[in-house]
Amino acid sequence: MAEEQNKKPCRFWIWASASVVFRLILISFPGNLNLSSRPEVSTPLTSIRRLAEGYWLKQASMSPYAGSMYHGSPLLLSILGPLTVQSIKGQPSHLLCSLVFVIADILSAMLLRGIGQKLQMAYGLNARLLGFLKSSRDKVILPCGDIAALVYLWNPFTIVSCVGLSTSPIENLAVVLALFGAVTRRVPLAAFGFVMATHLSLYPATLAIPIIIILGYGLDAPPIKLFLQTRSVENEKSSTSTVSKQAKSKQTTHLPFLWKTVAHFLFWVLLWSLYVLVLCALSLNKYGGLEEMFKRTYGFILSIEDLSPNIGVFWYFFAEVFDFFRNFFLIVFHVNVLFMLLPLVIRLKHRPCFLAFVYLAISSILKSYPSVGDSALYLSLWALFVNELIDMKFSFFLFCGYLGISLLSPVMHNLWIWRGTGNANFYFGNAIGYACFQIVFVVESVSAMLNHDRALRRSSSNHGEVKS
Amino acid sequence: MASEKRDKEEEEVKTDDGSPKIKPRPIVQLGIFLVAHSPVFSVVFSAAGVLALLILPLLAKNTYISENALMPGSARSMLSNRDVSDGSKLVKDIKNYWLNHEGQVQKLIGKYMSDMGAEVYYQKFHPEGNQFHPLHFFSGPDSYTLLDNVSCASYGVNVAGIIRAPRGDGKESIVLVTPYDFINGGDYEALSLGITSTLFSLLARVTWLSKDIIWLVTDSRYGDYRPVAAWLTEYHSPSFKVSDLLKCGELNTADTFRRAGTVAAALVLKVDGRSERFEDTLSIYAEASNGQMPNLDLINVVNYLAVHRQGFYVKVEKVVSLLSSSWLKIIGEIFEAVGKLARTLNPDWNFGIPAADYLEGSATLASSLYSQALGIPTGPHGAFRDYQVDAITLKISPRFPPDSKTRQHDFFLRGARLLEGTIRSVNNLLEKFHQSFFLYLLTSPSKFISVGVYMIAFALLVAPLPMVAASLYIEGCKALTKSTDNPTENLKSWKWLDAAKQVFALHLLGFIVTLLPYFICQVPGQHSPRNRSIMWGTTSSSLLLITFAIIPGCSPFSSRHHGTNWAVLKSVTISAAFIGLCLMSIINFATAEIGALLLVPTCLMAQPIKPALRSRRIKSLLGAFCSMVLLTIGFPVMFFAISKGLFGEAVVGLSLGGEFWTWLESLWAWKSATYLYIGMVHLPCWLLCLCILFHPS
Repeated sequence: MAEEQNKKPCRFWIWASASVVFRLILISFPGNLNLSSRPEVSTPLTSIRRLAEGYWLKQASMSPYAGSMYHGSPLLLSILGPLTVQSIKGQPSHLLCSLVFVIADILSAMLLRGIGQKLQMAYGLNARLLGFLKSSRDKVILPCGDIAALVYLWNPFTIVSCVGLSTSPIENLAVVLALFGAVTRRVPLAAFGFVMATHLSLYPATLAIPIIIILGYGLDAPPIKLFLQTRSVENEKSSTSTVSKQAKSKQTTHLPFLWKTVAHFLFWVLLWSLYVLVLCALSLNKYGGLEEMFKRTYGFILSIEDLSPNIGVFWYFFAEVFDFFRNFFLIVFHVNVLFMLLPLVIRLKHRPCFLAFVYLAISSILKSYPSVGDSALYLSLWALFVNELIDMKFSFFLFCGYLGISLLSPVMHNLWIWRGTGNANFYFGNAIGYACFQIVFVVESVSAMLNHDRALRRSSSNHGEVKS
Repeated sequence: MASEKRDKEEEEVKTDDGSPKIKPRPIVQLGIFLVAHSPVFSVVFSAAGVLALLILPLLAKNTYISENALMPGSARSMLSNRDVSDGSKLVKDIKNYWLNHEGQVQKLIGKYMSDMGAEVYYQKFHPEGNQFHPLHFFSGPDSYTLLDNVSCASYGVNVAGIIRAPRGDGKESIVLVTPYDFINGGDYEALSLGITSTLFSLLARVTWLSKDIIWLVTDSRYGDYRPVAAWLTEYHSPSFKVSDLLKCGELNTADTFRRAGTVAAALVLKVDGRSERFEDTLSIYAEASNGQMPNLDLINVVNYLAVHRQGFYVKVEKVVSLLSSSWLKIIGEIFEAVGKLARTLNPDWNFGIPAADYLEGSATLASSLYSQALGIPTGPHGAFRDYQVDAITLKISPRFPPDSKTRQHDFFLRGARLLEGTIRSVNNLLEKFHQSFFLYLLTSPSKFISVGVYMIAFALLVAPLPMVAASLYIEGCKALTKSTDNPTENLKSWKWLDAAKQVFALHLLGFIVTLLPYFICQVPGQHSPRNRSIMWGTTSSSLLLITFAIIPGCSPFSSRHHGTNWAVLKSVTISAAFIGLCLMSIINFATAEIGALLLVPTCLMAQPIKPALRSRRIKSLLGAFCSMVLLTIGFPVMFFAISKGLFGEAVVGLSLGGEFWTWLESLWAWKSATYLYIGMVHLPCWLLCLCILFHPS
């Protein structure tokens, strides 16, 4: 057993470095793969070609947002922009940018590993508290951090969006950074990640709720009732003194909410957002300032101006809808994301990290410009919960579905755009299929998690009965 | 697939909990029913799929002109004797040229064109060799780079003349192509120049043209296809470098390459051979690369004009050997009898067709399926399809010998009228062809089967795959749960991961084997196709052995401990085959249909032979025998040999390898997706079936 424990990390590093080498090999011939022009990989928000264009405009003393080319953050422009123009002789043009994305991917994977180790510890601790680990059905806890990191590094979606030069690895890094900060209780880091993620792609704003819950209540754990149940059983068994009765009456109260940490977090969020806004204002002060930025980034995301095809479901609908209904449907479509926040937080408040996964998955389905990079993020977050989701249903079916859809998508695109024998419905049909599979995936994950909680409750009550 | 898998899982839940919960919905019950009786249903569905394929000629509909704007044959032809005499003069001059001068026929044709008032230019091109680059497979046509250091040793010259439309804005054009061998042109080829010249003379002075006309005389020394492709590449992606070719030869090509807007349609005209029939024969070739077809309306217009106005006998390719096959005749007679019986029952049911018609229809359908499945264009029109231009090749066989002057006049008149009518129809179009079908199979020049009909046959054929996969999955999971005592390994819904690993490894192997020819072609030195095929075979098999050695549990000969449950393995294999076939049916239907006919029975029948041999029951022995026979046929080389044998060319031994290599080389040279299918879907699934066959269970 101990030998295996030693072997595991070694194997992890081998696989992780293999994935990096694989990426570097793919980067060395980008002209042949031509991934950066695939609609599945680069959206108007994440395309590096648009970023290079924006940088060029800025160098020419024009607003980077002129001409509806660039819609990202001005900070990304300052960091990645100079790299897009520099090219090493004899090497592919965007080599430096690609290296940045590879580094971002590695960092995300390491942070995911860190989150996973914390979650694994919490899982073990909870299991021991509830008395499962001592029992005969001793479960081996899977190293969910390693699994999640490897899933992130070897996911074809991640590889494609890293090699295909979309900025989504950086957006993903910001999201993972926020979660990592929250899990390890580094409040300024969490606030920084959260602010950056929101600044880069707006949708991670929903993550405020899970982060606050993590900071307020702590990590993922089985429902609080379970602990009370177990402890009460133990108390009854040990003694019936007045002290324990008092303790029992105390236990019925809620878990303490750490208002101080949360206030700390909010303060840091404010600070970082001010900082980011000031930087943005400085960088854009000649070209319309912050107002222009909000209009061209968040406004662009919310009003869905670009109707070029992508793997989401919005472009087709808003290409078809009459102009006078447009505003109404914009509200309806965006409310869909917000609509699910509250019910989910009520049901899953004891598992904030899982809640973050669900939020990210939902926003990647209902995003205005989704790409495979978003799926890559939530799929690897999902892998953090392998211990809980081991009994997930439809796993094979979902796997086949994701595989089939992701192979079908380029074919349908080819049929529509290059051969001209298909039409937009072909590609949109594929997008609907993809959305359906994602929905089934999220629904099944949530129900598997709830089933896991139910199973815990059932077995803990059995456990108690046996003992008493 | 979705519902069935779902149902399977529902059932699983029920058995896990021990007690049946709420009653499942009717659709779920239906799914459970289908999965539970999957052997029966798979036989029924497969048989229905094959039957539906045989019925297809009966279901063919008559073609109709879908786009109203085309209005074929509504205008009177304006061709006069003067135009025809222009054409005859050109043919005569070319003949004299052959007698008196050497080469430079291009100049003569160019002079004729410019005399008619066209803008003329010459394009020099370099005939490229067959390059196989694995990554260029699906990229667009303009992605390959032009060679920089070309020699003047071999190059071709295309002549093109453009008539600017008096009514147009120069944004659209129609292309007429006549391949002609400038070095040793035949008499029949000269006739095609005569017809087009007749037409060109007319078009140069008509007032109704709204699209420019380009007449392209291609240098067919380098084949029919390549010159057209070279011209199209330059037409669509101008190069700003001055090519070295310009300096070659005496022919002055300093004048620039001229263009005339997007190409709305293209017609390739060829004249060859004498017609065996009493009438002049017009053969239509339409298949472009990867089973793409031009819009059906284009074929309809040509067919309508040829049959109803000019009295040609129109035909499309058919498999001649099928016409004399007795079993097809019997099937045709059965269908005829059933049709008659149905008519007596209800006069509205008149789906029956005479057996002779059925025979003709299925021979044509077989040819249509074959040329689509091969993915190789059947003529120079294929080059246009890469640029989304609808194009067909018209091959006219006159009924007179080429030097008969009296018949020639009439022949030119009719041929040119046919082209004039077609061009006039296309000229009327306001949009590009979009009304009619792009996805269809032809059973005769005037009958077609649309995608909605032929897809049914394919869907029935592959329908058993998800059902059997689901039932095997359930079976395999149950077996695994029983066998593993250790609760830690009891990952309820993740038992398929091991099998998936094996399937993935073999698909990766298939991918590498598919790419191997690229590297084998790089091996220095001249090798015969036979040697190359031997190299390929040995490398692939050694790679296979390495895969078996490295990945535990992958090999069929590994110990029982490592081996995965064969039912789960088969389930994953079948799922992979299903995904591959469905993908291929969208890329190229015909390949998927033929592939499914082979792969579906092989996958469904595959099962370990060891238990069958041990049990010694007739039924299981028969099953094992069937699966072994299917596997033997399913091996690509074997299938190639068998199909060669069916067409009467028996090849045995090592020469087979050479033939096979040459065949595959032609596939990848034409960027046929069929090659990818064979390497990345068929071969891995076949190997997996082999693994299942020798599974140590």
